[in-house]
Amino acid sequence: MENSEVEMLNDLLDKDVEIREKIKEQVNEFDKKARTMTGILNRVHSTPLEALTNLLESVQPVFLSCRETISQLASIVPENQFWRWKDMWTNSLRTAVFSVAMVEYLTKRDLISLQGVSETLGFKAEWSSRVALPAEDYLHGVITMVNDLSRLAVNSVTLGNFEEPIKISIFVKDLFAGFSMLNLKNDVLRRRFDSLKYDIKKVEEVVYDVSLRKLATVSKESKVDAEMNI
Amino acid sequence: MAASPFQHDRSVLLAHFESFRAEVDDYNDRRERLIKASRDITNLSKKVIFLLHRIALEDDETSYVRAAKRGFSKLREVQDIYAGLTHELAGDRYWRYQRQVSPGLQEYIEALSFAHYLQHGTLIPFHEVQRSLSYPDGTPYFPLTVADYMLGLSDLTGELMRFAISGLSSHKGGRTKATQVCAFVRACKADFENYTAFVPDLRKKQVITSQSLEKIEDAAYTVVVRSSEYDLPPEILDDIVAQSISRFSDRTQKRSRGFEEDFSDDFT
Repeated sequence: MENSEVEMLNDLLDKDVEIREKIKEQVNEFDKKARTMTGILNRVHSTPLEALTNLLESVQPVFLSCRETISQLASIVPENQFWRWKDMWTNSLRTAVFSVAMVEYLTKRDLISLQGVSETLGFKAEWSSRVALPAEDYLHGVITMVNDLSRLAVNSVTLGNFEEPIKISIFVKDLFAGFSMLNLKNDVLRRRFDSLKYDIKKVEEVVYDVSLRKLATVSKESKVDAEMNI
Repeated sequence: MAASPFQHDRSVLLAHFESFRAEVDDYNDRRERLIKASRDITNLSKKVIFLLHRIALEDDETSYVRAAKRGFSKLREVQDIYAGLTHELAGDRYWRYQRQVSPGLQEYIEALSFAHYLQHGTLIPFHEVQRSLSYPDGTPYFPLTVADYMLGLSDLTGELMRFAISGLSSHKGGRTKATQVCAFVRACKADFENYTAFVPDLRKKQVITSQSLEKIEDAAYTVVVRSSEYDLPPEILDDIVAQSISRFSDRTQKRSRGFEEDFSDDFT
């Protein structure tokens, strides 16, 4: 190889290495924040309903701090290279999506939209070729939430909240119906979707237990809904 | 179903998922199309490599350049496929589907660099590969990565090993050529070594390059030993070399057990 050729290739590679290192720094931060979120949200399983609001509010500052990371990433990633680098922060991002979706569900009993997550974490439309929230990562985050909700169905009963499993049951069944509408390929997302049925089964068993023992004093409306869905 | 204040609205939720369907389908369809195109490109490139070997082995002085010319013109078919894919790979899409594009691209670079070697006796420069995948005004169809370039070149060494060894017995200038190829592949191997830190898959391929190099070295050794000890006419030398090659390939077959991709990979 000619010397000039070697230099040119090294230049190209050095630039990539530089970008990678800068991203790595941000990803480390993002990772820490993601761990903080899951740390807080793990306490959902041992927090009685009355104390839940406070707990959920304590995650908000962490969400806000993600905006800083996202905007840093947007300044590092070159135009049109989002997909080149995104694998580096995919895991942290999915954890963040899970956390945002979980908080939304526990406060509003609803699924947060992709747009909603995107806004909470501070993605901006003008960065779309540098950083964005792809549907795939959003869907992964939602599946993680279902996994966690099936745990919550069990743990809420332990805490004496017998209605929670019924609410969760209705919600996750609708989510399952939503996922069923997508033509998923044989990839990780598809496998995780396939595993959702075990989560649903787990929740259903809890619902069965509490209903049979008449532990849940279900409101008329959600009872009707539950029956319609089961 | 009416939504209670404590509950999500089922139809809104389902509509939200519905909105992903087109996106998911679009991704999967494009992915399939690119995998198919990449396979076509791989096949065409392999055919070009066969063609290059075939013509280069013809026993006359211009066969290398003739092979290269035919190769370059055949490779235009591949370049046309890439030209037709520009929409599928525009902007950030190239990076999204890079894993689907890379295999064909590396095979193409292997064929292109082989043709280039036959014509110039040198390694094809990076910018020349990129230029072959660009609009007439020089705008690239998509950005070539150093990794694909390196991995494509790394496969070239295997072709050169075949070229050098089969040239020994069938081409008049084969013995000189084998020594040249030997030096060239040795230099390649040293050059590539600098990039193993940046291109993860290159390390594995360096092992194959070492094996190829060793085979050429053994063949070059045979040439030197026979021609120095005996002052024999070339036809008889050819005979002796041919014998040694057949012994050599027996030996490598034994050695390469468990290394199935060795000779067979590119010929399947």
